[in-house]
Amino acid sequence: MDIQLKRGLLDVCVLAAIKDADSYGYQIIKDMKPYIEISESTLYTILKRLETAQMLTVRTAEHNGRLRKYYHITDAGLKRIEDFKQEWSEVMSIYRFVTKEDEQ
Amino acid sequence: MNKQEFLTQLRQGLAGLPQADIEDHIFFYNEMIDDRIEEGIPEELAVKEIGTVDEVIEQIIAETPLTKLVKEKVTPKRSLQTWEIVLLIVGSPIWLSLLIALFAVVLSVYVTLWAVIVALWSVVLAFGAAAMACLAASMILAVSGQPLTGLVVLGAALFCTGMTIFTYFGCLAATKGIVWLTKKFAYWIKSLFVGKENNNEQNS
Repeated sequence: MDIQLKRGLLDVCVLAAIKDADSYGYQIIKDMKPYIEISESTLYTILKRLETAQMLTVRTAEHNGRLRKYYHITDAGLKRIEDFKQEWSEVMSIYRFVTKEDEQ
Repeated sequence: MNKQEFLTQLRQGLAGLPQADIEDHIFFYNEMIDDRIEEGIPEELAVKEIGTVDEVIEQIIAETPLTKLVKEKVTPKRSLQTWEIVLLIVGSPIWLSLLIALFAVVLSVYVTLWAVIVALWSVVLAFGAAAMACLAASMILAVSGQPLTGLVVLGAALFCTGMTIFTYFGCLAATKGIVWLTKKFAYWIKSLFVGKENNNEQNS
């Protein structure tokens, strides 16, 4: 997949991974794996960016005697997902336009 | 490599970044490796899945803004003594001009690289323009009763068209190469600020 396209999609994918329940780094990577590959260092950058943009909050909690960071989606994060759905319907109509000639 | 070795090397490689940032990265990778081990993956393999330390460091540096690195480097770890401030002011004609010179060099390298790109594309454009001019000239010559000269000029037009296509692909490759080069150059500039402090400690 095109790098620029993938970069845009990854932010929304990470938000989607924490949408239903709070999650942690390794779980996010595992949940995304069937759909899109992401490296640890890339995930780190995205989480930082989303935190700065206030689309998620971070809390540290104990797990099996060690600390783990959990990520929680905010209203701004949920809105980003909704915006993405909206944008994507436009992309889909462009997709249909692009592939129109193939069908004929 | 076990987890401790990985984290130690990562910490050394990131020296020069703000301390809080380093701790944040260490915490993140520590958690990532621990979560894998908890799932039953052997420690060595868990570390291997993260990637090499160099890859991780390279990506962290690439994504850290240069201003942050410079700021961390020039911010004193303690407050300055009076004599140090005096020395800084008195010495400013020297260090300030050196600093300006350094930025001038960096800037000129960038400008030079992009000038090469502009020059290369000018060649492509020139061949294209020559091709069209020759084509027009050959038509005029053909209708004005000089068909042989027209034929020669038509040949030149074809040659220029060929050269346009030929140089176009060359330029495309060269542009991509130079863009890659500027990225490497930016990384090199940034890496000057990272990982140095630790080396000094080891040397001294």
